[in-house]
Amino acid sequence: MNRLAIEPGSTVAYHTGDWRNQRPAYRDKWPPCGQTCPAEEDVQAWLALASDRQWEAAWRTLTERNPLPAVMGRVCYHPCERACNRAHLDTAVNIHGVERHLGDLALQQGWRHRPLTDQQQTQQVAVVGAGPAGLSCAFQLARRGFPVTIFDAQSTPGGTLSSGIPEYRLPKSVMQGEINAILALGIQLKLNTRIGADISADTLREEFVAVFLAVGALQPRTYPDDGYGDHSVMSGVDFLRRINDGERLSLPGQIAVIGGGNTAIDAARCARRLGAEVTVVCSQDPHGSHGGHPGAEIPASLDEVNQAEAEGVRLRYRMGVQRLVRSGAHLSGVEIARVDQIHDRHGRFNPVLFEGTEEFLPASLVVFAIGQEVDWRGLEPLVQTETSGIFVGGDAAGKPRFAATAVGSGYQAAMSIIALLTGVPPHYEHHDKAEVTFRDIKPQYYPRQARREGALMAASPGEFSERVAGLGNEAAHEEAGRCLNCGICFQCDNCWHFCPDAAVIKQGQGYRIDDDYCKGCGICAEECPSGHIDMERVAG
Amino acid sequence: MKSLLEGSRAVAEAVHLCRPQVIAAYPITPQTHIIEHLAQFVADGDLSAMFINAESEFGAASIVLGAVASGARAFTASASQGLLLMTEVLYNIAGMRLPVVMVCANRAVGAPINIFSDHQDSMSVRDAGWIQLYVESNQEAVDTVIQAYRIAEACELPVMVCMDGFFLTHTFEPVEIPQQTAVDEFLPPFHFARALDPSRPMTLGGGSEPDNYLEYRAGQHRAMEQARDVIEAIDADFSDHFARGYGGLVDPYRVAGAETVTVTLGSTMGAVRDVVDTLRENGMAVGALRLRCFRPFPAQALIHCLAGAKRIVVLEKAFSAGAGGIVTGELRAALHQAGLATPVEGVIGGLGGRDLTPAVIEAIFRRAATGASSVACRFADLNSDAAPST
Amino acid sequence: MDTRDAFRHNVLTSGHRACSGCGEAMAARMVTDLIGPEAIYVNATGCLQVFSTHNQQSAWQAPWIHSVFANAAAVASGVEAALRARGEDTPVIVQAGDGGTFDIGLQCLSGMIERGHDVLFVCYDNEAYMNTGVQRSSSTPHAVRTTTSPPGRVSEGKHHLKKDLISIVAAHRMPYAATATVAYFPDLRAKVDKAMRIKGPRFLHVLSPCPLGWDHDAALSVTVARLAVETGLFPLIELEYGAVTGVTRLARQQPVEEYLKLQGRFKHLFADKGGAEEIRHLQALADANIRRYGLLDANTEWDTDRASQTQRHGRGGYAASSREVSP
Repeated sequence: MNRLAIEPGSTVAYHTGDWRNQRPAYRDKWPPCGQTCPAEEDVQAWLALASDRQWEAAWRTLTERNPLPAVMGRVCYHPCERACNRAHLDTAVNIHGVERHLGDLALQQGWRHRPLTDQQQTQQVAVVGAGPAGLSCAFQLARRGFPVTIFDAQSTPGGTLSSGIPEYRLPKSVMQGEINAILALGIQLKLNTRIGADISADTLREEFVAVFLAVGALQPRTYPDDGYGDHSVMSGVDFLRRINDGERLSLPGQIAVIGGGNTAIDAARCARRLGAEVTVVCSQDPHGSHGGHPGAEIPASLDEVNQAEAEGVRLRYRMGVQRLVRSGAHLSGVEIARVDQIHDRHGRFNPVLFEGTEEFLPASLVVFAIGQEVDWRGLEPLVQTETSGIFVGGDAAGKPRFAATAVGSGYQAAMSIIALLTGVPPHYEHHDKAEVTFRDIKPQYYPRQARREGALMAASPGEFSERVAGLGNEAAHEEAGRCLNCGICFQCDNCWHFCPDAAVIKQGQGYRIDDDYCKGCGICAEECPSGHIDMERVAG
Repeated sequence: MKSLLEGSRAVAEAVHLCRPQVIAAYPITPQTHIIEHLAQFVADGDLSAMFINAESEFGAASIVLGAVASGARAFTASASQGLLLMTEVLYNIAGMRLPVVMVCANRAVGAPINIFSDHQDSMSVRDAGWIQLYVESNQEAVDTVIQAYRIAEACELPVMVCMDGFFLTHTFEPVEIPQQTAVDEFLPPFHFARALDPSRPMTLGGGSEPDNYLEYRAGQHRAMEQARDVIEAIDADFSDHFARGYGGLVDPYRVAGAETVTVTLGSTMGAVRDVVDTLRENGMAVGALRLRCFRPFPAQALIHCLAGAKRIVVLEKAFSAGAGGIVTGELRAALHQAGLATPVEGVIGGLGGRDLTPAVIEAIFRRAATGASSVACRFADLNSDAAPST
Repeated sequence: MDTRDAFRHNVLTSGHRACSGCGEAMAARMVTDLIGPEAIYVNATGCLQVFSTHNQQSAWQAPWIHSVFANAAAVASGVEAALRARGEDTPVIVQAGDGGTFDIGLQCLSGMIERGHDVLFVCYDNEAYMNTGVQRSSSTPHAVRTTTSPPGRVSEGKHHLKKDLISIVAAHRMPYAATATVAYFPDLRAKVDKAMRIKGPRFLHVLSPCPLGWDHDAALSVTVARLAVETGLFPLIELEYGAVTGVTRLARQQPVEEYLKLQGRFKHLFADKGGAEEIRHLQALADANIRRYGLLDANTEWDTDRASQTQRHGRGGYAASSREVSP
């Protein structure tokens, strides 16, 4: 037999797949943003939707884990951005900016949360504390059909969000809007209700099958000085609460703020807005100088620090307070000195100062923002006995005390409560996935592209309006598009273009390897931009 | 109505009548006048064809290969060194079974370089798989070109029409150029089933292996064997249409009753016919036979005509150095195969344009007629003084 | 016909016998799918022809013809002439290796260009005669090890420079001639698209790594091609009527060692002093290219970063869109 003309495509009868000794496998990996997000948001997923201008879908994906995007987009210290692989290429994706944009859009458009089920459960759950942890927990439970009642001792919901974060960082209307959307799921909110005073712990225990304690850590750690209450020494928590309650304090000319956390920076910036000369004394370093040493970096968000400095707040790094200097009852300033070490060898915060490096820092008011503790009064019957059905979360559960951590702990608590009530163990996603580091990323496939920031608006004395503008649709779309899609397939077609053997078949939403023809060269894995493809040895 | 035309012009007219769509060539003496005329027809808008000036004969052959593979009727012409430069592609055209038609304006092959006629060029590509038709006159050249397209397209085999350089190409003879309508009736438009066409994608010229190459070649041989009947049938059909025929494969002249028959090819036959007439008048039983179709080799037709001869002389203008005349050897083999022991004398002559005069031809006949023992290979009209010393 | 993939034609489909990681198979698949099956492909003898047609099977899903080694451009001239004679404008594409382009096929290529045939000639350059077992060609770069330019006691590999073919081609007053590689698909696509919009002879020179002859890991075929560009050894340029009209600027320049060290064909250069001198020579050649074409300072937005961008939710970019269906 011979053929003068050969049938087109007739080589498909010859299966070159026999040649290979390794084969590619498409595998989703767990990107660093999601991995570091204290609220365990699937950041990558909602960024992808945002880059596709599917704004509402992006918001819905985000709020699966965090019902407060407009809030968190403003106040979260965004560890996701520090972990973002894009930082090695140019600059990290402005994740919090996009998050805020989605939250703002939802408020603007009036998007409503949807329950996950029509089925109404009967088991009542109590949440103590209407801060981010409590709201997050209540939100997750309510979406799943559980009747939830939130109790809060304050007259407004929000917890630290309300009392501890100044208006210029988090406008009250934004917070209230997101809280209203959560409550709209049918959650009962009982304000001005302190457990142990207005309702007893035992009553609570009887009426509710599960209780989530998210009472926060609002008790300021104090400096051993007797000056509290005489207007020359104040805690950061109190200082901020008074300002957030609308009080416009009349401040002396020079103020020292002690501490390096967000409370310290917030207090300093508020004081600055009220016209004072402000110096922040903190024992930590600014970013970078002791990179990688935990605790050596200033815990406050760097953006906040930078904005504070831009507003005229002075920062004294690696300094600690030796003593308060008084002349009579009048505070004349603080003696500060160079810090040797910040933590002792047990890892406890325990600064040691160098003798002979003392300086005098004039100040008529010292604001101590050196940490907060949980106020357990009235809750003792709930926390001191080993009873099932009691869960603790948020700042009350320990460190780190960040709003996003609180949101995450609210979710975890809700899952644990549901597991307890239904007898079904909670399901956690992602935990079996491999990490994806910058080594797995092929930077040549990503164009360098400048990060879009929300515009900074001028701050004038006495002005507490919001400082940073939102991104807007265009910038948010562009910024979301900067996501490298670490470890997942974004249908770039590289494997499909480069396969010399037509062994990668494109399907509706992805690709499949045709084992009949794949010779196992490994080009697809080598050129996968996001590290989504692994090569595996095959026997033979 | 006959017109007095140069052979090249007459052939160009014939090509024109066949409506080729692509003509590609590279100039070489004595083929040049053919393509110059075609170029002029195209330049004047009389012939609607793509005229491609190739960068070499190798290119020219390749261009017509591509054109025919795309379903176009194509034409090229060459000679001598040019034909040898085409050789790789000639084999390829035949192996791909592409019905290309070309004219070889037969010329000697160097070295030493020589522009004049003999058959060493076309004979050297006898194994390439092309049908080879050798013509005697310009009229036959015209008619054979027209037949060649019919044959090629019917057999899916390439055809080389061999006409002697200068003796035919540059000679003016009265020639009847057929009417276009008559040619159109005889030669239908070219339809190539394997043409390159996106609507029916096919792969042409793919690889072969030890387990199928032999079969490809055997198929080619079979097609050549079958081509003999086709050539005869088409010549007969041509004669029905145009009242001119050439005997198909062989063209015998007064072989009936002839004891000595000279076999030759091409334009030499004209002089041989005259010599036969003269010798017949002198009472010698001589005849002649022109081998019109050299490939496929018409063994049966030859035996049929030559069975009665006592002696055969092959007068040919090509040879294989160290072996002798090519047709001579093949004819001997055919006779042997047919169980005939007729002696065959091999005479090489007319190389490099040397005139085979009636005197030389008559001497060949007379020597053979004496019954002198046949010589395997000898050179006619050889001037021993002019042979180079080694 | 093989219709496994709804998003591309696979003009060159599976089951071909190219080595694992073959850069030429990759290049030919990209180029032919960008052009599509509504074209006639003429192939010179070489790896591509050998591995794509075998044992009476063909990997081609478009009309395709192979004749001999040297004549692809002439065969294509004939094909094009035949189409033109019938008033058809089906595109005609030649595919050849560096042997069939730089060396044995150069005369036919020159004739095809000079006569102005409406043909796109694509040279898949793997810088040696790979099909016959890695012998040097005039495209083989200086100092490369091949079986006919072996390094030895008195030799550091090939003694002669890579032929500057694009200049030779462009000097024909060529409407369009460009270089490309497998590494920058958007760049390759832009050039194929542009070439297909232009009438007349066009030339595309695609550097196509060969894991066998270049002696590199099969997975690195794209990486190596990228480095050939980023070192300046293989400039990505476009020429129209002899003038340089497009340059893909290097976003970053890599030292030639980064390219050389991945490939066994340059291994001998890292073994001794003589080799070190040849590495400096190769660096000088790269630097000369960079100066000649302004690869670092060309006034263009189109650089190697842009030229390698991927698309989210890519729709393929192939001519297959008319067939696109949701499976």
